[in-house]
Amino acid sequence: MNQRGKKLQQVFEEPACATNQAKPSQERKKGCNRQLAPGAAAGGCAFDGAKITLQPITDVAHLIHGPIACEGNSWDSRGARSSGPQLYRTSFTTNMNEQDIIFGGEKHLYKAIKEIVEKYDPPAVFVYQTCVPSMIGDDLEAVCKAASKKLCKPVIPINVPGFVGSKNLGNKLAGEALLEYVIGTEEPEVTTPYDINIIGEYNLSGELWQVKPLLDELGVRILSCISGDAKYHEVARSHRARAAMMVCSKAMINVARKMEERYGIPFFEGSFYGIGDMSEALRSIAQLLVGRGAPAELLDRTEVVIRREESRAWQRIAPYRERLAGKRVLLFTGGVKSWSVVAALQEAGMVITGTSVKKSTPADKDRIKELVKEDAHMFDDLKPREMYKMLKEAQADIMLSGGRTQFVALKAKMPWLDINQERHHAYAGYEGMVALVHEIDKALSNPMWELVRNPAPWESAAGMEALSIQIA
Amino acid sequence: MSQNAEKVIDHFELFRGPEYTGMLENKKCMFENPVPAEELERVSEWTKSDEYRKINFARAALTINPAKACQPLGAVFAALGFEGTLPFVHGSQGCVAYYRSHFSRHFKEPTSAVSSSMTEDAAVFGGLKNMIDGLANCYTLYKPKMIAVSTTCMAEVIGDDLNAFIKNSKEAGSVPETLDVPFAHTPAFVGSHVTGYDNSLKGIIEHFWDGKAGTAPKLERKPNGKLNFIGGFDGYTVGNMREIKRLFDLMGIEYTILGDNSDVWDTPGDGEFRMYDGGTTLEDAANAVHAKATISMQEFCTEKTLELIENKGQEVVAFNHPVGVEGTDRFLLEVSRLTGKSIPTAITKERGRLVDAIADSSAHIHGKKFALYGDPDLTLGLAAFLLELGAEPTHILSTNGGKAWQEKAEALLASSPFGKNCHVYAGKDLWHMRSLLFTEPVDFLIGNTYGKFLERDTKTPLIRLGFPIFDRHHHHRYPVWGYQGGLNVLVTILDKIFDQMDQTTNDVAKNDYSFDIIR
Repeated sequence: MNQRGKKLQQVFEEPACATNQAKPSQERKKGCNRQLAPGAAAGGCAFDGAKITLQPITDVAHLIHGPIACEGNSWDSRGARSSGPQLYRTSFTTNMNEQDIIFGGEKHLYKAIKEIVEKYDPPAVFVYQTCVPSMIGDDLEAVCKAASKKLCKPVIPINVPGFVGSKNLGNKLAGEALLEYVIGTEEPEVTTPYDINIIGEYNLSGELWQVKPLLDELGVRILSCISGDAKYHEVARSHRARAAMMVCSKAMINVARKMEERYGIPFFEGSFYGIGDMSEALRSIAQLLVGRGAPAELLDRTEVVIRREESRAWQRIAPYRERLAGKRVLLFTGGVKSWSVVAALQEAGMVITGTSVKKSTPADKDRIKELVKEDAHMFDDLKPREMYKMLKEAQADIMLSGGRTQFVALKAKMPWLDINQERHHAYAGYEGMVALVHEIDKALSNPMWELVRNPAPWESAAGMEALSIQIA
Repeated sequence: MSQNAEKVIDHFELFRGPEYTGMLENKKCMFENPVPAEELERVSEWTKSDEYRKINFARAALTINPAKACQPLGAVFAALGFEGTLPFVHGSQGCVAYYRSHFSRHFKEPTSAVSSSMTEDAAVFGGLKNMIDGLANCYTLYKPKMIAVSTTCMAEVIGDDLNAFIKNSKEAGSVPETLDVPFAHTPAFVGSHVTGYDNSLKGIIEHFWDGKAGTAPKLERKPNGKLNFIGGFDGYTVGNMREIKRLFDLMGIEYTILGDNSDVWDTPGDGEFRMYDGGTTLEDAANAVHAKATISMQEFCTEKTLELIENKGQEVVAFNHPVGVEGTDRFLLEVSRLTGKSIPTAITKERGRLVDAIADSSAHIHGKKFALYGDPDLTLGLAAFLLELGAEPTHILSTNGGKAWQEKAEALLASSPFGKNCHVYAGKDLWHMRSLLFTEPVDFLIGNTYGKFLERDTKTPLIRLGFPIFDRHHHHRYPVWGYQGGLNVLVTILDKIFDQMDQTTNDVAKNDYSFDIIR
């Protein structure tokens, strides 16, 4: 079994992943992702998953080894914000050509790494393997190892050709690469009893920054966020954190669990979405830190901050509750957001008519059940046509989903709000919830829905009547 | 650095060189007796204050940066919409040179118009001789099929009688008796270019329908099913007229466009100079009397013209420069009602596409505040579109808008929750707008090229929609009417919004975390 095969097997057997553990051992070997149905619409590949997981590390050069397809279509497509370096947004690719495919791309790749180091001198180069070089047998690990040695620079292989599986698998493989090559390779200059890691937070639209001021106020230091607004050295030193928060339940569970196993860093799963969840997250961080020896007064200080922030947030949401109470929401998103957003919307007085649980774990599902009470509200895999039907039949007033499903909502003439990675607003923390409620209110009050919902006036008698009144 | 033959630089860079900056600085210090920089700064800041706004709005005699032009400009516009027609402006030649350059700078096409070149003796003794000679000369030189006469202030102040003058000219043999020479009195000290458009168009129509100044029998109206269409004074006339014709053709309508400038201001670059091109034929202009109805896209450009047409027994319908979904709906429904023709699927699909485009991106416009100025009809049409998009018009200003316009604008704003914080300013100028933008800032300003001074001073990004637009090319070739036109306006607004986002997020290592690929 080659290195990638071994890694895959490890990921499939990830003990903290309840989905995997629920499977019989034979099935587990096949992989944690369902085989995709050929011909049916599907999401991104493992390469995509790995890239979106690691690309938020801002000072690293991310080099994509492959023909133009992989990088050409994905260059800088996530709004992961950086507080400094912009190198992560520069597109590096070997842009393989026919000659490379006939004679092999290893030399080409080595030269590309060398050129990056000479021109940019980043703290590390992350090299992503894609389908084509993998199929012709380019040995990514060997090239990276040789390059690391010759160039005296960490060159990290991320072996994620798209064909190995889904985007989610790619997230995990990216985590494995960090565990194997990055985490624990450097030591922090100082450590404090208040050092934490935040795992699975990507600082999309700057969401980490919405939360960070509160942690700063409490004196809690983010030793490393993996990987939002992260710098290479922070990730390399993250093994000295005292506790960790695991934000997106399925993407990097292996990282959190293995860091606990290797370095004794306890973690909890939490969310920054929703007022209650945000408070719970702060509380859990404080508890874990105190459990690891931080002074107990941290707990009291945390409660003070929570009380203050909750009441501030409620005050700002209150004016909206009146307008949003009873509005029915269809949630179509993945993983942790399905329950964490449910709680948030309920806080704004809205009713959840349905939520997708496609990427959610059984634990996620339990939490949703707890929140929405009825099983019928959960959809495992809502096909666009069914989604369209639901919206069309007006079982909801607004849909919250990712960019890919927005067009279904629009065709069904249903207000829609983007809450996935391509959104333009930050919804984390207490601040974010006020922003989310504001955006929902805005979406619902947008006058264009009138235009969208109504047919051309000459196609309806009511429309003609309304117009004739206005003309008169 | 002086010019170097290897690389000759233009004024953008040349005068930034040390010898020129030194020269200018030196002149300022030694000869201009400049106020101290702090004093300059203090006064500059003061002009942005509420206190200054009050003084500014109390201004009674002085107009500063007016957003309007004069009657004869509109008269020339209307005249150029007819086949082989030479606009002849009775008065001073300087005015006419302005109209030609004004239109040429906007449409990027030569514009032909002549004047009777009145001078001081003509001002004292009357311009008859200039009229006689002028008509003879322009007829001989430029061989027009029709000469449409209008006036500058100079002729109006001394009270030249166009009707009599033209008659005298014909009697004197300067032009053939049968040549069509309609006329309109268009003093600049009354109204604006939209008034001049109205007067000129009315003069032309009256000429053909009412017996050519007593030289022919009046036409007797024999109603048919045709529709007359008048665009009004419109900076987008090239694109708009073609769009309207396309829509009418799709609906299978028989129509006459009264005043079609789309060819004369968009001649092909094929080496041939076309002094005249396209336009409403004189025959069609005459026969338009028989039409069932007349539609005007701009009420305030056609008040008198429509009155004349209505008195002939036609139904007249006036819009206010309709832009967007509802505006276009109403326009097409009226066309459909008047002609009995249904709206075909192809147009319904275009409507759906505009709605789709609005849905795709209106979140970026929804809730943004806009200031808007321009001609009365244009501001009403654009304001209605903004309301439709969920934008919040905040200041609507029209220098040539009157009480009727103000009431109409206020009624429009009252019809939408997005219009409730908006104020309407009739007869105000762009210096008033400056105070408004400083004291009640908005996100974007909509106006013509002259808005760029407001953009510079107040840092309010300018979306160029209106007339004239001198500093951006070719937008007049794209329609703003019809659903296709609505899409163009939507894109124009969005482009500026996104440009603005980029420009406010591109400071490296300061705010470029939001310098995004996907917007």
